Amino acid sequence: MDVQEAVAEGTASAENGEVKRDGKKQFSMGPSDILEGKLIYDGSVHADGRVEGEVRASGNIDVANGATVKALLEGANVTLKGSVEGAVTAHDKLTLGRNARVSGDIQVRRLQIDDGATLNGNVRMGDFEQQASGQ
Amino acid sequence: MSSRRPASRLATTIPAGNGSNGERNSVVLGPNDRLVGQLFIEGDLRVSGSVEGELEATGDIEITGRVNGAVTAYNRLVVGSAGSLIGGDVRVARLTVEDGATFTGKVTMGKPTAKEPTPIEPVPATIEPVVEPVVVAQPKGKRR
Repeated sequence: MDVQEAVAEGTASAENGEVKRDGKKQFSMGPSDILEGKLIYDGSVHADGRVEGEVRASGNIDVANGATVKALLEGANVTLKGSVEGAVTAHDKLTLGRNARVSGDIQVRRLQIDDGATLNGNVRMGDFEQQASGQ
Repeated sequence: MSSRRPASRLATTIPAGNGSNGERNSVVLGPNDRLVGQLFIEGDLRVSGSVEGELEATGDIEITGRVNGAVTAYNRLVVGSAGSLIGGDVRVARLTVEDGATFTGKVTMGKPTAKEPTPIEPVPATIEPVVEPVVVAQPKGKRR
């Protein structure tokens, strides 16, 4: 399975990026960082640069302005300001910033879309099924 | 006898503002208004009542009430924090969803297209006429 390898690669490249904020772990990427593969993280993720694959975080996920993400994203609060291609799940709230460009299906509890954001996809709002969260 | 004339009250001029004088048309469905069916508006539309059906406006649409159905706004769609838009296809150029709003459906954003591309009809298979060879039974010629 090349998944494990990808995870290891991901954590290794962001060794310096792991910072603790308010006692919670945060996986923080810079604008020139690249993550390919599957990342399951107990904490928050700040995605920047390029991300491809899958990111599941127990905390919040935010995608920086200028970042390019082609990945499945799942987190508590998800804030998107860059370009995202892929399904997005926010167990609490999804926010699309004014520069966000999102194409993919969305499942959220709460949703906020700022003027200027672009969205193409299906939006589902409400309770979550028992799906894929364990995977 | 002093009888009131209702006509005199109606005589007060009401500003038109409905496109005929160059202003942008704006239609409002109030909180107690209800629409079932289709509505096309050349201009802006504000819905604070309830709608079951399709809405289409060449300008902006603002929803602070409840809408069940497809929504097409050539310019901008705003779903307010108390608004609810459920179930339909949403085709808009610009979109704002305020926190607290209920929003479910398929969203398509981009250049507003007045007409959807018509599906290409399948070309009926041309049936070639089958030419059946005509066998002419030649009578055995009498050889002399």
